[in-house]
Amino acid sequence: MRRTVLLMFFFIFTICVCKASVRAESSTVSEGQPAETPHEEKTPVINKANEDGELKHTVSAGQSDDTRKEDATPADTTQEDEEPINNDVKEEPPLVKDPLQPYNRAIFTFNDKAYHYFIKPIYTGYNSMIPEKARVSVRNFFTNVKMPVRFFNCLFQGEFKGAGTELTRFVINSTVGIAGFFDPAKSKFHLEKHERDFGQTLAKHKMHSGVYIVWPFLGPSTVRDTVGLAGDAALNPLSWISYFFLTPIEGFGNYAYDTVNDVSIDKGQTYESITKPAIDPYIALQDAYVQNRIKKIKE
Amino acid sequence: MNYRKITSALGIGMLSLAVISPLLWAGEPGKLLMETIDKGFAILKDTSLKGEEKVQERRQMLWKEISPIFNFDEMSKRALGQHWKSRTPEEKKEFVELFTTIMKDAYIGKTDTYSGEKVVIVSEKQDKKYATVQTKIITNKGTEVSVDYNMLNNPGGWAIYDVIIEGVSLVNNYRSQFNNILIKSSYKELVQKIKAKQS
Repeated sequence: MRRTVLLMFFFIFTICVCKASVRAESSTVSEGQPAETPHEEKTPVINKANEDGELKHTVSAGQSDDTRKEDATPADTTQEDEEPINNDVKEEPPLVKDPLQPYNRAIFTFNDKAYHYFIKPIYTGYNSMIPEKARVSVRNFFTNVKMPVRFFNCLFQGEFKGAGTELTRFVINSTVGIAGFFDPAKSKFHLEKHERDFGQTLAKHKMHSGVYIVWPFLGPSTVRDTVGLAGDAALNPLSWISYFFLTPIEGFGNYAYDTVNDVSIDKGQTYESITKPAIDPYIALQDAYVQNRIKKIKE
Repeated sequence: MNYRKITSALGIGMLSLAVISPLLWAGEPGKLLMETIDKGFAILKDTSLKGEEKVQERRQMLWKEISPIFNFDEMSKRALGQHWKSRTPEEKKEFVELFTTIMKDAYIGKTDTYSGEKVVIVSEKQDKKYATVQTKIITNKGTEVSVDYNMLNNPGGWAIYDVIIEGVSLVNNYRSQFNNILIKSSYKELVQKIKAKQS
């Protein structure tokens, strides 16, 4: 009897300790972030001093010590409640460099017109003829064929479990899913697709994004993601099939059909939901693209 | 015998409290969010409000239910970023109104295409006044869209100050746009541009 009561108290005690440690962990994480900002501000001071010459070095070292103290105190006081707000509001790091803006804006306008007057009429007609379920099936088919792109990029990024999942998905969907038109791997076996591309791989191997580029028809990209697109094309069986077995026009038709089908399901809506409510659609699309890429690279 | 029963009952009671209370405590912002989303879905599913001719009525009812969970002051402040401080109180008030209208036009309109989407909570984090509720929208096409809500606990209760869709922060998106305009021209011109967009 006593033992059970003791056991219960022990149980409660451990729960409390666990909770406390979890909270402590989360609070140290949140306190760690603001501590970094003064550090970053401090480094340029030293760098400038180093450029000026060695004589000033001792002086600047003293200055940087002072600034460190000054920075530390307000950070400590504001940490309690207001820090995240101040952090967000003050820092305005440009997410991507855009020296080609005049050219990019022109291409953006062209793409926007092409979307509204050319691609959208095509896909609205296509939508009215083909029911959504069929379109999703077509997408599933193309997604299944493009498995090597995801498989190899999982490998390149060291995600062997993801690569294994992709392989299993391919086997299940190609057979039970009738050549990939259905996705039983997800609906029945709960195997999620691992969207990995070559741009992510390059980013994981520390390549910087480079300048922002808008390509005709392809839309927003960066230098890194353009290289990534080429890499993905090389891994894509569709490009091999069209290179060896199809005429250029057939190959392009294949690609265009895949794209239009994709746009018809949700990409078109996504594009409109970003650009329509925007005050400056060009910047809105650029920012959304870059933020989304950052998220995908972190995954 | 009686003594044993009482102590064991007490023990079990305490144990269950210790297990349940953090769930109740941590679930507050998420619960509020889900309640609001459910209210919104109830309106969208209401058969008496369906159809083209009831669009305005439906949008207004939705807005009434959903808008209280947003902290538009905070959103506007963050969207203007470093330029917020140098605004006069009147300008701030006007800007909050303009930004609220942007949000309303942009996101209430999207509900017109509602077709049985579901929302599930993935996880929830809370650190003092701040909370992040991660959710997933599951469409009837089988695609999933991750939507995170950043919430702030003010005296009025928990309210959303940012929505992050597939990694794209709404407030940051508008801040980039506003910044880009403000670098090249004045605040007045920004307000004009917003007003031109809304009229």
